[in-house]
Amino acid sequence: MIKFENVGLRYGVGPEVLSDIDFALEPGSFHFLTGPSGAGKTSLMNLMYLGRRPTRGLVTMFGQNINDLDRRRLAPIRQRIGVVFQDFRLMNHLSAFDNVALPLRILGRPEKEIENNVNELLEWVGLGDKMNVLPPTMSGGEQQRIAIARAVIARPRLLLADEPTGNLDDEIGFRLMNLFDQLNRMGTTIVIATHSQAIMDKLGHPRLILDSGHLHVESGNDKNWIQKKIEGVF
Amino acid sequence: MFTKKDRKLGVADGKRQYDLPLNRGEGSGFLILLIALMTFLAVLALAVSFVLGAMSERWSSGLENKLTIEIPAETIVESDENIIIPNEDVKSLTFDIAEAIKEHPAVQSADILSEEEIASLISPWLGDDLALGDIPLPGLISVQLHVTSPETLRVLEKITQDISPSARLDTHESWLNDLLRFTGAMQFASLMITLIIGATTITAVAGAIRSRMAIHKEEVELLHLMGAKDDYITEQFQRHALTLTLQGSVVGVLGGGIIMVLVSLISGETAAALVPDFKLNGLHMVILFLLPVMACGISALTARHTVLRVLANMP
Repeated sequence: MIKFENVGLRYGVGPEVLSDIDFALEPGSFHFLTGPSGAGKTSLMNLMYLGRRPTRGLVTMFGQNINDLDRRRLAPIRQRIGVVFQDFRLMNHLSAFDNVALPLRILGRPEKEIENNVNELLEWVGLGDKMNVLPPTMSGGEQQRIAIARAVIARPRLLLADEPTGNLDDEIGFRLMNLFDQLNRMGTTIVIATHSQAIMDKLGHPRLILDSGHLHVESGNDKNWIQKKIEGVF
Repeated sequence: MFTKKDRKLGVADGKRQYDLPLNRGEGSGFLILLIALMTFLAVLALAVSFVLGAMSERWSSGLENKLTIEIPAETIVESDENIIIPNEDVKSLTFDIAEAIKEHPAVQSADILSEEEIASLISPWLGDDLALGDIPLPGLISVQLHVTSPETLRVLEKITQDISPSARLDTHESWLNDLLRFTGAMQFASLMITLIIGATTITAVAGAIRSRMAIHKEEVELLHLMGAKDDYITEQFQRHALTLTLQGSVVGVLGGGIIMVLVSLISGETAAALVPDFKLNGLHMVILFLLPVMACGISALTARHTVLRVLANMP
């Protein structure tokens, strides 16, 4: 699904922030992306959601070589990716409903379908009574839930989340990790950037560990995940 | 429906217009005002151009294949002094010339202007209270030709001067050419002004769109990263520019229309005999009232082009 081969990234004429990145994510896999602050997690996420093109190396997504693709042909690929940004990046002038509806509107789905899906998801994340509320008046946790709902509403094939449970209490955090898990069971590939050793230990998925721009992959202890692979769910 | 109080509390108002926050203040009023002024000026410039064109058309078509023969009331004799010819002689000379001219096959008609007609022609300069017996009047013959050619004019001039050496043929060509050249230049200037107004509008719209894109860079980037195609983003800016332009240009055209009606009324009251009426035909009116449509088209295309150029720099 995603393959990075010898990928490097530098900003302008500065030093490489990512060097010789090599990894492949299988469809339906669940990975944590971790590493110390400044290790390049956000830069790597940026490359994965096609916010940038690599300075060197080869990136293949959904079977297509990104390096050779015209920028206009990247839009359909981006539509298959859901992103939860660390700073949420919500549209402050739009209601919670309209923020979550954005990916469906971009896909050109009918308004009736949008209304049903968005209402259901907002209820599910506990914001059913705040559909018309503007994000600036919401708490950090509520904003984060909107950001997550927006990322998953269109059932993306790849979900990238940057510290998605950072502002949430344990109960909501658990429910959202459960949501990610359900999406993963339905075949969505998931990459979650996190510092939380507890979450990583609890879920036990494989880890992409970044350190000073270099990456190595550590297999997890997720018996469920291994079992699912054996059972051929993916 | 949400009340103002609800919005203050951070609740969205009923219906979203754009994904991008384009319908919020930030210079929209300024752009509407600018477009209104530009359209207003364009209406006036185009109206002037149309009126000048109509005037030239009327002048030239009215005088086509026409000439005037003037038999002056005064003649030059050998002693080099101006001698007043008696009115009776002017009349008989005029009559003789008219009869002789009519014989020529190129002449369709040759009508002698009556004293009353001559008096009405000179009344703008000398007033309506002119006593015809007070001043010597020239003889005037209005000649309508089937077709004008230099040869015909040469022959007619000879016939005329054989009867009265001081008689003159006026083909109106010299002053008409000057006048047409002048109105042509004015028309060209009006069209150039219209083009400059159009170019200014394009620049203003492009600048406004660029500034909007800079202000909402993060939101545009977000839509882009979520997989919005260029057309999806462009369409929002296009619709926004179109709405503002429609508002501004309708105000501008209405303002221009009011001014034109006022000018028409004022020029009608002055009853300027030398200048034709300030009036536009149906086609001209349609073109002027289609200006908002044209302005919207230009504005939408400018917005589209501007947004696409900015988006092309995104990954």
